[in-house]
Amino acid sequence: MATVTIALPLPVLPEGWAGEKDFKSIGQLSAATDRNIEPVGPHFLAHARRKRHKRTFSEDER
Amino acid sequence: MSAESDPAQRVAIGISFGNSYSSIAYTSGEGKAEVIANEDGDRQIPSILSYVEGEELHGSQAKTQLVRNAKNTVTTFRDFLGQDFKSIDPTPCHQSAHPVPSESTVAFKVRDTEAEEESTVTVSEITTRHLKRLRQSASDYLGKDVNAAVITVPTNFSDAQKDALNKAAKEAGIEVLQFISEPVAAVLAYDARPGAQLADKIIVVADLGGTRSDIAVVASRGGIYSVLATIHDYEVSGIQLDQALMDHFAKEFLKKNKSAGDPRENDRSLAKLKLESEAVKKALSIGTTANFSVESLADGVDFTASINRTRYDLLASKHIAAFVRLVTHAVEKAQLDPLDITEIIVAGGNSHTPKVASAVANAFPETTTVLAPSTSPTAINPSELSVRGAAIQASLIQEFDLEDIEQSSHPMVTVTPHLSHAVGVLCISGEESSGIFHTIVDAETPLPVRRTAIISTPREGGDVLIKLVEGLRHIKVTKPEPKPKKEKSEDDDEDDSDEDESEEEEELREKTWKIGNVLSEAAVKGVKKGGKVEVQINITADLNVNAIFREVGGKGGVRGLLSGPKVTQNGSA
Ligand SMILES: Nc1ncnc2c1ncn2[C@@H]1O[C@H](COP(=O)(O)OP(=O)(O)OP(=O)(O)O)[C@@H](O)[C@H]1O
Ligand SMILES: [Mg+2]
Repeated sequence: MATVTIALPLPVLPEGWAGEKDFKSIGQLSAATDRNIEPVGPHFLAHARRKRHKRTFSEDER
Repeated sequence: MSAESDPAQRVAIGISFGNSYSSIAYTSGEGKAEVIANEDGDRQIPSILSYVEGEELHGSQAKTQLVRNAKNTVTTFRDFLGQDFKSIDPTPCHQSAHPVPSESTVAFKVRDTEAEEESTVTVSEITTRHLKRLRQSASDYLGKDVNAAVITVPTNFSDAQKDALNKAAKEAGIEVLQFISEPVAAVLAYDARPGAQLADKIIVVADLGGTRSDIAVVASRGGIYSVLATIHDYEVSGIQLDQALMDHFAKEFLKKNKSAGDPRENDRSLAKLKLESEAVKKALSIGTTANFSVESLADGVDFTASINRTRYDLLASKHIAAFVRLVTHAVEKAQLDPLDITEIIVAGGNSHTPKVASAVANAFPETTTVLAPSTSPTAINPSELSVRGAAIQASLIQEFDLEDIEQSSHPMVTVTPHLSHAVGVLCISGEESSGIFHTIVDAETPLPVRRTAIISTPREGGDVLIKLVEGLRHIKVTKPEPKPKKEKSEDDDEDDSDEDESEEEEELREKTWKIGNVLSEAAVKGVKKGGKVEVQINITADLNVNAIFREVGGKGGVRGLLSGPKVTQNGSA
């Protein structure tokens, strides 16, 4: 998948911002919806391979 | 193991098998799908068999038999597969061999041998014979014995229907590697074109076929497809469009031939009227006028007439409007807005009709691309979308063991959590009220997913804030300022109602974002002037987020881990 390019600038870090190792976790994702993906096309085949062999994206690339 | 299921021995093609037409295609060594013409030179082969003195005719040759030999001509049978007689609608077969109940299935009574008496041929057997002919045409063309196929079916084809089709194909010497759904095959046909760019899209496949309309809303995310909603309708169909023309020409005929009978009231006349009306409809897809010409249409009277496209559009407008309503309903059913639709693939044979494509386009904003021959010069022939998709899928899986293919299609693999909202960053400001959301991963993306974004920084660089949030798509509607009422005479007021819609000020509808859950903040410090920040997000199937933030070309980077909502496990006791 191509990289997303975002032309709008990121905000300046507010004065006094602090986070452990520069990161602050705040919330979590909303619950996901279970759906069927179609077993069709080259990208599905890659997905199926990862899922059946319990591999991550980077393991799959090795 | 039989030779047929040995992947090394396979010669696989794609087959689209419709109630009206079928097509065959293969994928060449260079990965290009090619639709195969049969011995009659047809790429859209009528799904029709006809028996004359024991000889079997197929395709176009069988179709012409509808005039003289309708009783022994079998049409429109695909949807009958795997169904019992009580659940089928036999209407499309009124002018050909009638379906009859036969044990638990449907059959046709035809004289398919030289003998006087009719035989009862089940829909499975008819399908086998039809598929044998398709297989033979493909084998002749390829010079190799075709023995396997990917076949397209509608999204609402039941397991019983697939089972019946699978068995019928096997009888025809075809190992079905996989059934894939028609709309998804259409999407794949476009995505597999050389030079096609992979992009996240919401696609509507709007298929106006011969006997039915099928609409599917498909999310395409990184080349993976999820069907969000479907609609099927058996009232809105090509048959209706043909009927509109049949009524038109029948009336014209009666006007000119006061003493002749109505061609719609005599079987043979009706068959001629129907075949020629379909031909006229097809001709009007390319030309702006077409000629209707039938020898001895009724009572021995020949009839020729011409019609222009505008007239046909008018005759068809009710049916086309009904089709457009199906398309917009499907979008509503998927809980989406027309503004969410990136692309509409207008599929099925009737999508050659320019008015079908333009009417669909008119119901959607200009940001929606409509892919049809009349709206896009690079559109794929709408009659060939399914079969091209099937041929591409066949080439992708033909070397796999059947068991492997089945396992991959199993819900264990295909049922997948999808993101409910987009995930992205706030630009310009970190305040939820004033920051501008930009998507990195779209809603409806199946998990796990990994995406990378490259984001600009303030002009002087420096320390930047990367705030990951959920974006909730919102449709902002701006009502036009009420115009001061002009003084008008009463006559003028009446005219107002027919005025062109574009003259009126329409409300403005825009896609905007509301901020949902805030996920995290990260700081990347000391970004150089003109530098960019790379954000890589990994979201696992259990909604854990693993992100890396770093200056492009810089060393190190900031790592962040977010755990997903705690799920209560079922049956862990
Ligand atoms: N060039 C054309 N212009 C207009 N209509 C066409 C053209 N070619 C085919 N059609 C119409 O398209 C219909 C057949 O479409 P298609 O081949 O998609 O149907 P099918 O999938 O076999 O049928 P069904 O969807 O009912 O199972 C018929 O009504 C036919 O008249
Ligand atoms: Mg169809």
